[in-house]
Amino acid sequence: MQLDAAAPRGQLRRRLGAAACALLAAGLPSAARAEATGDWQLDGSLLLYGERDRASVFEPVARISRLFDNGHRLSGEFAYDAISGASPTGALPSGQVQTTTTPSGNTVTIAAGAVPTVLFRDDRYAADLEWQAPLARTARATITGHFSSEKDYLSRGGSASIALDMFQRLLTVTAGAGVNADEVMPVGGTRVGLGDGTQMLATGTNPKDVTSGMLGVTRVITRRWLVGLTGSFESERGYLTEPYKVVSLVDPVTQEVSGQLTEKRPDTRERKSLQVSSVYHLSEDILYLSYRAYRDDWRVESSTGDVRYRFELADGRYLLPHVRYYAQHAASFYVAGLVAGEPLPAYASADYRLGPLRTATLGLTYGFHAGSLPGTVSLRGEYMRQWLANPSGGDGEGGDDARAGGVQLAGTATAAALTSVSGTPPLHIATLLAGYSVNF
Amino acid sequence: MDGTAGHGAGNETLPPAPITLTRGEDFWCGRFRAMGGPCEVLVDTDDRAEAAGLVACAEEEARRVEAKFSRYRAGNILHRIQHAMGAPVEVDEETANVLDYAALTHEMSGGRFDITSGVLRRVWTFDGGDRVPDDAAVHATLALVGWEKATWRRPVLTLSAGMEIDLGGIGKEYAVDRAGALLAARTECSVLVNFGGDLWAPGPRHGDRPWGVGIDDPERTGEAVLDRVELTRGGLATSGDARRFVRWQGKRLGHILDPRTGWPVEGAPRAVTVVAGTCLEAGTLSTLAILEGAGAEEFLRAQGVVYRIHS
Amino acid sequence: MTFRLRPSARPIALALALVALSGLVGGCSAMHVQPWDRDLLARDAMKINPSLIESGADDHIYFSKEGSTGGHGVGGGGCGCN
Repeated sequence: MQLDAAAPRGQLRRRLGAAACALLAAGLPSAARAEATGDWQLDGSLLLYGERDRASVFEPVARISRLFDNGHRLSGEFAYDAISGASPTGALPSGQVQTTTTPSGNTVTIAAGAVPTVLFRDDRYAADLEWQAPLARTARATITGHFSSEKDYLSRGGSASIALDMFQRLLTVTAGAGVNADEVMPVGGTRVGLGDGTQMLATGTNPKDVTSGMLGVTRVITRRWLVGLTGSFESERGYLTEPYKVVSLVDPVTQEVSGQLTEKRPDTRERKSLQVSSVYHLSEDILYLSYRAYRDDWRVESSTGDVRYRFELADGRYLLPHVRYYAQHAASFYVAGLVAGEPLPAYASADYRLGPLRTATLGLTYGFHAGSLPGTVSLRGEYMRQWLANPSGGDGEGGDDARAGGVQLAGTATAAALTSVSGTPPLHIATLLAGYSVNF
Repeated sequence: MDGTAGHGAGNETLPPAPITLTRGEDFWCGRFRAMGGPCEVLVDTDDRAEAAGLVACAEEEARRVEAKFSRYRAGNILHRIQHAMGAPVEVDEETANVLDYAALTHEMSGGRFDITSGVLRRVWTFDGGDRVPDDAAVHATLALVGWEKATWRRPVLTLSAGMEIDLGGIGKEYAVDRAGALLAARTECSVLVNFGGDLWAPGPRHGDRPWGVGIDDPERTGEAVLDRVELTRGGLATSGDARRFVRWQGKRLGHILDPRTGWPVEGAPRAVTVVAGTCLEAGTLSTLAILEGAGAEEFLRAQGVVYRIHS
Repeated sequence: MTFRLRPSARPIALALALVALSGLVGGCSAMHVQPWDRDLLARDAMKINPSLIESGADDHIYFSKEGSTGGHGVGGGGCGCN
């Protein structure tokens, strides 16, 4: 005959059952090693980032966090990053132009000469503080403060958010708001936008204020599956231009670069994004998926897809391959160059990061316990490739004109060759991130 | 933990006994020795590698719990408690939880379940013979028995000098539940954890079939099965005098002692099997049933659990 | 390869958001996960952002190299990243 754990009827039996469950539930969690049970948490990392023929970054970060008896948690994160190398100015390459004169017309090829870059180096120091306090049994409040400083940029800001758990912690809603009061102090002074670079604005310090808000929901769907949805917006006001970048002027006759102007961007920007994420636990491994849609009023729109898979190995080790693909539509004022002699647009930037950008990332993380040391070590290697989508990539949809590929040549020049020059050849980036996390 | 580790209170670690993996009709069975007896883990799968991994995990947990709570290991928390000589001992999280459970069970059972009653084994010898201790010896030992004489203010435990803690009535069942929970978290397959007759399963086998469990006949140990039950999910534990008893005045007295009298319970059934949500619960209820003596059946009926009584 | 966001991807984004929302808001009793079934969810790796170290580095890298921001948090700071 079949026996099954019968529904409790006796009072002793009920209390005993609850006591047994409490004892078992309170025991060590079922992972291979005891996970977070201590009051202190330390996370240290070192990022080595290198772009081929361009910039490289060295960034150590240390984060320390303490949980107090009253349930409050205080965390501090300190980062230093040193960046140096070459950065593209936004100017078009002006190499030798091969001109062949034939009775039927000119055939122009602009040599794919070196993309103009400028050497730079900068050090940045950043400190972040976070204080988290329980409000009720199922609610938490978090307050953060941020400060960072580098040669030409100062950032100060803070945020506050509240998280609420519902339905026995199966649903968590988080709402937050933040402000930043940043300052941009370009080296050598602030140059007037869309000018020849000799005129300066009176002020050397330019404010940039940011207000942001977010609303997020995470939901446990099944014993193995967790999903999240987060919406956020940001409103920036102030100096939003890249102070050292320029836009090339192209002579419509010779189709050669004839000069350059400083770039100019609007002084406001409103951004919105929506991200949906999924975490799914298979028998041992975990699959992470996320998709983010973004748009702003500079008409930059993007989609980001991210897939990670955690292969669980023995002894708490894991292997986590990662693939990310990012596709962006150019800003409305993004140009490859401006035609000399034509009336200037209100705003223009040749910064490829506002262009029809694509980024593909391939990475692998290996996590393991370092011998007799407590805590986990993680090593991540990533390869990224950035390129601009071919603007004349043949959609043939003239209707979407300047949006097709997002590159436009302001003005009436028909230098077809220019539209196929992206200004920056594909960028190859490799990174190495070493991290160490310990709980004690 | 009943039984001996074979090396007394030595500090050396024995090389782990081998795990044998054999194939049942349509399941894998891993066997090893731990906690003084045969242990097995049945895994409802065809995948040998997975079964081997799960059995190894359960064996590791069994050894961990045994090492931590066994009376026979030097250097573990229990050893520190037994040799504290009246000084307070601060215990870790897991031990504190076990002591909380023991304290609660003591209170709920009106003092019948008492982890300080282990010292009584010094005066009793359950070898099937007819030696019983004299009243003076029992009385003297009883002075060292009684959870109410200990001070338990989490996480500090203070026993009077001479008192001992014996987790024999909790340890094995706890190990079964712990090992079972670890396996259930790692796999979708059903498993049956059986440490010396104390069992737990998280759910039925594939096709919704239950696990078949035989209840050993105490008279013909290892030869005959008294009863066969089908376990779909939950814990099963048996308490009884199957192997240890004394005969006195024509009566058979089992080895489960009532801590209030220092004597075995009279009129108790030979064996009681209980099915409950967890093995720990089942084990506690079956022990309490025995301690009710002749009133075992009535007690079990009142609790509304599924049980079998073997007289 | 040209990427078209507005005509085709917006409905996809919307659909995904709706699926997530229906899971988020919907019948909790039907999908209730009992406390004793929270074993897997208790793992540190079962989080939308399981590694602070990796997400911190990623945020910084992609903020500097791309035109978009946001997605999961609020606050933090800016930098004059070239």
